[in-house]
Amino acid sequence: MLQPSLELYGESFEKVDALLDDLLAKSHAQYVLIVDLKGFVIAHNKALWAPKPPSLDSLATLIASNYSANLAIAKLFGETGFKEMIQQGDRVGMYVEELDDTALLVTLFDTTAALGRVKMFTKKAVTEIQTILSESKGEAPTMNFDENWQNSTRALIDGLFGPSK
Amino acid sequence: MSTINFSAREINFKIVYYGCGMSGKTTNLKKIYESIPGTAKGELVSLATEDERTLFFDFLPLDLGQVNGFKTRFHLYTVPGQVFYNSSRKLILRGVDGIVFVADSAPNRLRANAESLRNLRDNLSEYGLSMDEIPYVVQVNKRDLPDALPSEMIQQVLDPSGKIQFFDAVAAKYIGVTEPLKAVSQLVLEHLAQKA
Ligand SMILES: Nc1nc2c(ncn2[C@@H]2O[C@H](COP(=O)(O)OP(=O)(O)OP(=O)(O)O)[C@@H](O)[C@H]2O)c(=O)[nH]1
Ligand SMILES: [Mg+2]
Repeated sequence: MLQPSLELYGESFEKVDALLDDLLAKSHAQYVLIVDLKGFVIAHNKALWAPKPPSLDSLATLIASNYSANLAIAKLFGETGFKEMIQQGDRVGMYVEELDDTALLVTLFDTTAALGRVKMFTKKAVTEIQTILSESKGEAPTMNFDENWQNSTRALIDGLFGPSK
Repeated sequence: MSTINFSAREINFKIVYYGCGMSGKTTNLKKIYESIPGTAKGELVSLATEDERTLFFDFLPLDLGQVNGFKTRFHLYTVPGQVFYNSSRKLILRGVDGIVFVADSAPNRLRANAESLRNLRDNLSEYGLSMDEIPYVVQVNKRDLPDALPSEMIQQVLDPSGKIQFFDAVAAKYIGVTEPLKAVSQLVLEHLAQKA
């Protein structure tokens, strides 16, 4: 089965995209990401003034794994999770909030942003995104995984690894 | 379950390399990383101990290209094989689409191979998955060892029913590395076509 982890397409995607821009502007963060707990990037935005981010694939998988590991630690102590997920370096900080049990909202910021603002606006964005998701009608676009699609994908795999012997 | 991202027009598949400690899982990813052209691969991320044993996972994203306007991407992961890292192994299996089980041909690892396969079955069941539902193939690695057990023997231990595809390999020399990956990809595609 095909699983869009969040019901995020069409109109709801555009709304969320606009919200992420708003979050960047208000919190003065550099980057915001929605990360699937399987480690995939679902959505991402960058402040115009921010430098090119590091590999988003690497970021997403490390954030998702880190979150999962922390959750597992909390459970060892009979907790349902840890409340605050903040990392702070000399130049860069990261703040993580749960969107639902499949995805995270991640805000990355530098020293020009105040942690209090980042936290407040990230929390606010989470509530707003949750509302958009709950109101979305879930009319997922359909995709046809027919023989044609299979053959074309197989050709791509052969292209990358060489044809089968 | 493959993840489709309609807004970014991407389909993502998660392939996990599983198997006992030192069987050669990380070597598979390293060799793929070295051999694939620059534009198709992302960064190789390895969370390892000082002595190069996998602590959490290795990760390598591959871009296959576009079909029907959708980017198709494979995310390859390895798990840590050492027995006591089971909680990490379990986390990596989240959302897995296909598995390459890397078996070690050394005689003294036969039992470890079997135990790792049983551990895989147990961990999948915690996600409500069974081995019959998840596409998987076996790579019999380290065929270059002078005392390597016969492949048939390993096959009989790991798959008495004979239903699973097995591939001989010397991963350290990039022999038999692409074949099991292609085979599992093929199974994943078929699986998706059936279910859609
Ligand atoms: N002889 C031989 N050695 C190999 C082969 N493939 C890998 N090795 C060696 O086996 C050792 C372990 O390889 P890794 O790829 O790190 O094994 P792993 O399965 O990732 O191990 P863990 O991370 O502990 O689970 C290394 O020294 C490799 O060089 C092979 O085909 N033949
Ligand atoms: Mg390893």
